[in-house]
Amino acid sequence: MTEPAKSSSVEDVLEDRGKYKYGFKTMIESETFPKGLNEDVIRAISAKKKEPEFMLDFRLKAYRKWLTMKEPKWPNVHYPPVDFQDISYYSAPKPKEKLESMDEVDPELLRTFEKLGIPLDEQKKLANVAVDAVFDSVSVATTHKQKLMEVGIIFCPISEAVQEYPELVEEYLGTVVPVGDNFYAALNSAVFTDGSFVYIPPDTISPMELSTYFRINTEETGQFERTLIVCAENSYVSYLEGCTAPQFDTNQLHAAVVELVTLENAEIKYSTVQNWYAGDPETGKGGIYNFVTKRGKCQGNNSKISWTQVETGSAITWKYPSCILQGDNTQGEFYSVALTNGLMQADTGTKMIHIGENTKSSIISKGISADKSSNSYRGLVKVGPKAKNARNYTQCDSMLVGDKCSAHTFPYIETANNSVQLEHEASTSKISEDQLFYFESRGISRENAIQAVINGFCKEVFKQLPMEFAVEAQKLLALKLEDSVG
Amino acid sequence: MSDVIEALSREAEVAEFHRKFVKDGSVPAFQSINAAGIARFEELGFPHAKHEMYTFVNTHELANTRFQLTQGQADAAFVDANTYPACQKARLVFVDGQYDPALSETSGLPQGVSLVALPEALEKEPGLKSCIEKGIAEENDVFASLNAAFVNAGLLIDFAENTVLETPLLILHIGTASKEPVVHHPRLLLRLGRTAEAKVIHKYVGEGGGYCVNAVQDVLLEDGAGLTLARVQADPADAWHLEKLRVFQKRDSRFTALCGSGGCRMARVHYEIHLQGEGAETNLSNASVLTENDQSHHFVRIHHEVPHTTSHQLFKNVIGGKGRSSVDGTVIVNEGAQLTSSEQLINNLMLSDTAHADNKPNLMIFADDVKCTHGATVGQIDKDQLFYLKTRGLEESLATELLTTSFVESLIREIPFPEVVEDLENLLLGKLEVKRD
Repeated sequence: MTEPAKSSSVEDVLEDRGKYKYGFKTMIESETFPKGLNEDVIRAISAKKKEPEFMLDFRLKAYRKWLTMKEPKWPNVHYPPVDFQDISYYSAPKPKEKLESMDEVDPELLRTFEKLGIPLDEQKKLANVAVDAVFDSVSVATTHKQKLMEVGIIFCPISEAVQEYPELVEEYLGTVVPVGDNFYAALNSAVFTDGSFVYIPPDTISPMELSTYFRINTEETGQFERTLIVCAENSYVSYLEGCTAPQFDTNQLHAAVVELVTLENAEIKYSTVQNWYAGDPETGKGGIYNFVTKRGKCQGNNSKISWTQVETGSAITWKYPSCILQGDNTQGEFYSVALTNGLMQADTGTKMIHIGENTKSSIISKGISADKSSNSYRGLVKVGPKAKNARNYTQCDSMLVGDKCSAHTFPYIETANNSVQLEHEASTSKISEDQLFYFESRGISRENAIQAVINGFCKEVFKQLPMEFAVEAQKLLALKLEDSVG
Repeated sequence: MSDVIEALSREAEVAEFHRKFVKDGSVPAFQSINAAGIARFEELGFPHAKHEMYTFVNTHELANTRFQLTQGQADAAFVDANTYPACQKARLVFVDGQYDPALSETSGLPQGVSLVALPEALEKEPGLKSCIEKGIAEENDVFASLNAAFVNAGLLIDFAENTVLETPLLILHIGTASKEPVVHHPRLLLRLGRTAEAKVIHKYVGEGGGYCVNAVQDVLLEDGAGLTLARVQADPADAWHLEKLRVFQKRDSRFTALCGSGGCRMARVHYEIHLQGEGAETNLSNASVLTENDQSHHFVRIHHEVPHTTSHQLFKNVIGGKGRSSVDGTVIVNEGAQLTSSEQLINNLMLSDTAHADNKPNLMIFADDVKCTHGATVGQIDKDQLFYLKTRGLEESLATELLTTSFVESLIREIPFPEVVEDLENLLLGKLEVKRD
């Protein structure tokens, strides 16, 4: 594996869909498109994925829209402008012939996922979790597929879904986040390469948690994954997402789009533990730019979408998991813990759009900022004129650790009818010395005391997470704060 | 208007209007301020629909109205009718933005209070002039920059050290009736010397509507000074009311603003408060009652610049008809401003299906040892409370009225001037009264 990296040109791909020249980057053989973005690159991605015509139209429409849009400047984050022509829009582990079993997955890759603690090995069946692992831009393995198919659940990479279930994809893709929704969503719609697709048929409770693990491995690539989850009538699914990336000096762009749709009486619970590489804590060099659009639509009456996120990584986070409460009696929930340390910047929150009658939403957001980081909560609660009896409860608390960090809150509350009940409260404070003194007087070290206080601060959010994730999230917080306190 | 003018942007049109204004003879002492104001205006431009400072305020109609600068005459009887008995001997009257000494009465003011025309004051004190000029150069509110561009009269109200004003000073702004839309640019500078204490009442009224008052006020509080300000916004329903209040507070100074707003076609008040000395304290409260097409918007920025400063904010809005209310308030705690304590609460009571309430209580915090909270609620009259009153034999309409009025009354009653309390109760609670046979 000493051969220098070569990349296949776009023209080659367009000319010859079968043969590619592969270069080696890190330990994994991967195939990367040259940097740059134009219509040919998009056609090449589409051709490479052997996509039907409607997908190419979808991508080109998004790309043309993207060209007319400007990068958003309103978030409370600062970073040098991203050169979108200096990014490679496709990178994948070298494709082998169709993978039949886990044995054929590159052992190096398996070791990576093992290191990350992801139970890809079906033999072990460690946890009752079905995993779809996405490496750079391509889904490499999906586990427990058979078992899920028995109850009719479709859980597969979205590139596969486009070919095998085009009617489902065509019906729902872009209905929650339209191609021109925002700058990064448009970019994602144009160039996304993979992601997960989930379809839960009517009257089905998913027998296990579904999970995706994302990893960006190659330097100077962008990861643009797309997730689409459709939950039909009277169904339920809980979905977990985890993210990591290795350490590089350059910034990597991650612009994902997640769309959720619930039909009548359906419920989706979506949990994320995000731990992308955050850059060097001293110099701020490197790290992931996490510009993500996540949105769910409660389309059918009585349906529910719940977002839980634990954000501990990324140099810059820009993400607002939202709920469009369209059906009557629908519910939206948002639970978030966002931790920033080093020189990280986060501008995150949610949007709850009440459209239907008797809709309810609740928002619990906990921000912790340490070192020299900046942590902002930005949330919108909007009640339309027809959303009779809408209810919202919002609580956003910030905790500051150290005197160089900052915490901001930007809630937008817009109401346009008189039957609503909205409550919003927020507070900002540091860890109380009294609490720490109490712990210390009982012989508990200051560091452990701070951890205990912070875990208590985040408890309302952690208890929403599936158990394994909750444990991971707690450990992650402790690890991240190790050098910041004490 | 000719086609050529139509083709110009509104900003260019205003700049052209300004050149004419300067040519027709602006006050020489104001020339540099006028020039700085228009330069800042041209940099800022009218806000576009998604401007962060005007998220909830539609300024399109305002920006596209072609206002004139004309001067009317106020009726002495109207002035008297709007003067509170306690302020008979201490009232300053501004008619269409211009200070009118003939209608004013200053015999009740103590020795330490001096009134100086703004141009004179600026000439005498270069320090004051540079402070005002800096404020204009850094202005972030486009309408306040227009005030600077067109201001031709203003007043410095100077309270010398240790002056104590026992009876409140009334500052009455009167808009006269006019057939075409006119705009007024009153500008005031209030300065309180060390440990001076003052009580000031601001009242905005109109003999007729259709005008736009675009006021700017700077308040400088020296160490230990205390200012209690009551504001009564009672402009006619078809007037525009824009106001910018900039406050600089030194050590241990206190600023208290207690306001009542009846709204109008568009009322927007912009508070910019700088707490620059340790122990400085700010209290801000406002009660709004909006019906029909009334609008009342508040935009607040409180800068905690040094350690140990305090701010409290309380907004209560009752919104009926097609009323629109917004509160966009930000508390900024600078790096190193430890031991800051800040509270903000916004309560909205919605009375109709077509009412609109927008709130944006923001916090921007760069220090860790602080206590900052904010809260916002939107709701209706509590059904249990209503039921309780009905079981006691009250008619539903009366019970509703009682609960609605008590929502804002608690705030109005806080005002330490009984005459203002009575006036606001008539003005605001009168709007909520149920018509009975």
